[in-house]
Amino acid sequence: MEEPRIGVYVCWCGTNIAKMVDVEQVAREMGNLPNVVISKNYKYMCSDPGQDMIIKDIKENNLNRIVVAACSPRIHELTFRKALAHAGLNPYLFEMANIREQNSWVHTDKALATDKAKALISAAITRVNFHEPLEKRTVEINPATLVIGGGIAGLSAALEIADAGNKVYLFEKSDHLGGIVADLDLTFPNLYPAQQFIEPMIARVQNHERIQVLLNTIPENISGYVGNFTMKLGMNGQSAEIQFGNIIVATGLKPFDPAQIPEYGYKRFPDVITSLEFEKMLKSGNIKTHSGRTPEHVAILHCVGSRNNNYHPFCSRTCCMTALKFANQVRSAIPGANIYEIYADMRAIGKGAEEFYAQSSRKDIMFLMYDQRNDLPIIRRALKSEKCNLLIDFHELLSGEDIEVRADLVVLMTSMEAQENAKEIARTVGISMCGNSFYIEKHPKLDPVATTTEGVYIVGSCQSPKDIPDSVSQAKAAAARVLASIAVGNVEVEVITANVNEDLCCGCQTCISVCPYTAIHYESDNKVSCVNEILCKGCGTCGSTCPTGAIKPRHFTDQQILSQIEGMMKAVKTRLVEIESQEV
Amino acid sequence: MSKRVDPDFKRRLFKYGGSKEWNECFHCGNCTAVCPLTEQGFLFPRKSIRDIQMGLKDNLLSYTDPWLCYYCGECSETCPRNANPGELMMTLRRYLTSMYDITGLSRRFYTSKWWEFGYIAIIFVMIILAFLIFLPLRPDAAAMINDSGGVMINNLVAGMSPETFVRIIELGDWTMAVIVASLLIMNILHMFKVTILNDSSTKVPFVSYFSEFRQLFLHFLTQAKFSKCEDKKYWVGHFLLMTGYSIMFALIVAVLPKFQIEDIVPWYNWQRLLGYYATIGILFFLVNVAIGRIRKIDIKLRFSHSTDWLFIIMLGLTTISGILVHIFRITGLPVLTYYSYVAHMAILVPMVLVEVPFSKWSHLAYRPFAIYFTRLKKAAVARQFEPELAPTL
Repeated sequence: MEEPRIGVYVCWCGTNIAKMVDVEQVAREMGNLPNVVISKNYKYMCSDPGQDMIIKDIKENNLNRIVVAACSPRIHELTFRKALAHAGLNPYLFEMANIREQNSWVHTDKALATDKAKALISAAITRVNFHEPLEKRTVEINPATLVIGGGIAGLSAALEIADAGNKVYLFEKSDHLGGIVADLDLTFPNLYPAQQFIEPMIARVQNHERIQVLLNTIPENISGYVGNFTMKLGMNGQSAEIQFGNIIVATGLKPFDPAQIPEYGYKRFPDVITSLEFEKMLKSGNIKTHSGRTPEHVAILHCVGSRNNNYHPFCSRTCCMTALKFANQVRSAIPGANIYEIYADMRAIGKGAEEFYAQSSRKDIMFLMYDQRNDLPIIRRALKSEKCNLLIDFHELLSGEDIEVRADLVVLMTSMEAQENAKEIARTVGISMCGNSFYIEKHPKLDPVATTTEGVYIVGSCQSPKDIPDSVSQAKAAAARVLASIAVGNVEVEVITANVNEDLCCGCQTCISVCPYTAIHYESDNKVSCVNEILCKGCGTCGSTCPTGAIKPRHFTDQQILSQIEGMMKAVKTRLVEIESQEV
Repeated sequence: MSKRVDPDFKRRLFKYGGSKEWNECFHCGNCTAVCPLTEQGFLFPRKSIRDIQMGLKDNLLSYTDPWLCYYCGECSETCPRNANPGELMMTLRRYLTSMYDITGLSRRFYTSKWWEFGYIAIIFVMIILAFLIFLPLRPDAAAMINDSGGVMINNLVAGMSPETFVRIIELGDWTMAVIVASLLIMNILHMFKVTILNDSSTKVPFVSYFSEFRQLFLHFLTQAKFSKCEDKKYWVGHFLLMTGYSIMFALIVAVLPKFQIEDIVPWYNWQRLLGYYATIGILFFLVNVAIGRIRKIDIKLRFSHSTDWLFIIMLGLTTISGILVHIFRITGLPVLTYYSYVAHMAILVPMVLVEVPFSKWSHLAYRPFAIYFTRLKKAAVARQFEPELAPTL
């Protein structure tokens, strides 16, 4: 290895750093450290003149390692790596010391902050000595896409990708397409019939020359990585293999089973029905009690299984507006009916929802509020003399009264929950789940449809409960991501990955059991573990578990981390010696 | 014991007025927060709106809250849902008036125009017939002019001395007052029953009945609570009307022989000054309210029940006929004086007999009594929760 020649650059960040750290003193002292050829300070290192200074120094002084002491690497690490590449240096021969967020912004004593800056930069300098050049790699993208789930999200994604000229495999576990939306009557807030938009979509998907629909099919045995996934499947008795470059998971939701809540007597009372059962009733155009009578009192009970720690802590997001839709439909079908909305909080989320709530509140509906956390209503059979089927007892929060509501028909607004096979699917495609078994997105704000596994996207209610417009938007967003990767044709993969020193590996396979990305497999021929560097995210879990030190994450080797600590401690020690000598 | 919600109640209630946005209320509590008159335990109008929405009639009957509201309109102005809480309180006052009334006539009058018009028409005709048959115009009425050129008002009836005529009118006025007062007293006893006695949780300390009694007179005379509303012009207008009307009532009932005298006294005499004050006060109020109800800009006058208009018309006609009597008297026109006097009586009597016991004006008794009963309820609550602060003998 050539002798390290290090350039150190201390940034003022205007006054952000300079007002709390004596940048000139720091730069001067860092210049005395071993292998440091140049040490400079400048007002804004990230500016074009700042970057040009680094590039010029690299060329003129033959520098081969760079340390920039400035802000968080989250902000400008890429900027400086690019500058290194410009100067013809491998971008990984660079280290950043954060003396703004972790120093000048949080301290008030200039002398101490200056000392801390020296320690942080010293750590970066000793570390950068051991940096190795790493090379970016790319893989080609197979333009075919696997879409799992034939609900509205899956259909939208499949059409978007196929319309752009690419092959789509659409897997659906049931025997028909359309998902939950196919079971709905009208949709909130504009009371538009679901049939009118879902049926043309289903027909278009079924007749699309580039979409292959596989009903009654659940994906299994997916191998490979972004751009090049493979799945073996048994079709018509013979095994086949399909290949695709991206996966869109659109497995949707499962309605909560209200029989779990004893208070509501679902299944015990035939006139207590779920929201989906009521949708079916509405579709048939015949709102009747089980005895065939037109109900005089219709109670709609919100938050069934939602927002209650005994069932699901989360809000299912669509039930409030669906419940109002029900009230509107009952009002038009049975104008004289007494309608009760027994709710916990009225959540009018999304475009047109608040207006829909305001409109609905003019339709002679009685809104009653209950405590869905601790005090669930109790549904009981009414006596013959009551002239109704059921009575609902609960504590009404807005009046503070214990009240009794008559009902002939009770509609339970059941919550959405994750599919029963959510875990199996997650394992098959290599994504993770939150505590409620919904899939986790890469970034909750900035990357809501991607996952930590490259090439796998999650859309619709499998990610969290969602209404139709949100599911469709996500589906189209994921489709755009897939189409973009197809358009580029190849994808850059992570460089900072683990790699195995086969001489040291004892074949214990501990690393395989801890890898969260299923990126490691066992090669039985050589009896060693082997890392799939495209699946590996460089998290380092394997490296810290390996008993022989055979598996190491690149750019985070033991030597690099230990030298970093050493550099920091050396600076601290120097300072302590100084203090002691002053005291003497 | 659970209370059963009653979705039909609101259909019955909204015959008494109200705005159609009532159910848009989602109980943010803004109305209670902005109201300068709500206090702990009496969190109107929100609590009352809730009971209307849920149809808890017994709760509503037991409340004094609607009477503690003077409808400044601030809650309606600031309601984020435009649910018009102030108008709901107004509607409730009409409803409660009919519920307190033990004869059931108030309910008929509020919910049916025909009942109300019929009742007024019958009394109107009866008064006219009574005059024409028992107190007819004397044939030589045109000669009944006194020295100062004015009409001798008590000398216009055939075959009757002025003293007898005044006595008969005075007797009629007293009869009317006694009927009205008896009805009001019975209704107030009923109000006491539904607001205090029927509420098993309210145990009023005995001493409070006496210690709080002066509140009745204070609020009857001053409407001190009303003056706490932020816009004082309503209190001023109401005070003018109230004093004008009280003076007029005292003049025609308590001191009629001294008020309705033969001579035309100079303008600065007390009879004329008081009469002018009362007339101006009533007219000022009437004109303002009538314009307000037509323009519908002021939120508290935006929603008009048929009884609101009937009241304005009746009081207007009474005032105008009274003014005509006065003008014809001082200009020496005996025949016109007589007929305008008959018209004045034929409008005044049914107005008093419908408004005071059965309609709008019953509030002159219900409001001060509501304040009195509220203080009793508070004393009961204090005894229950803070026994050391409760009054003792």
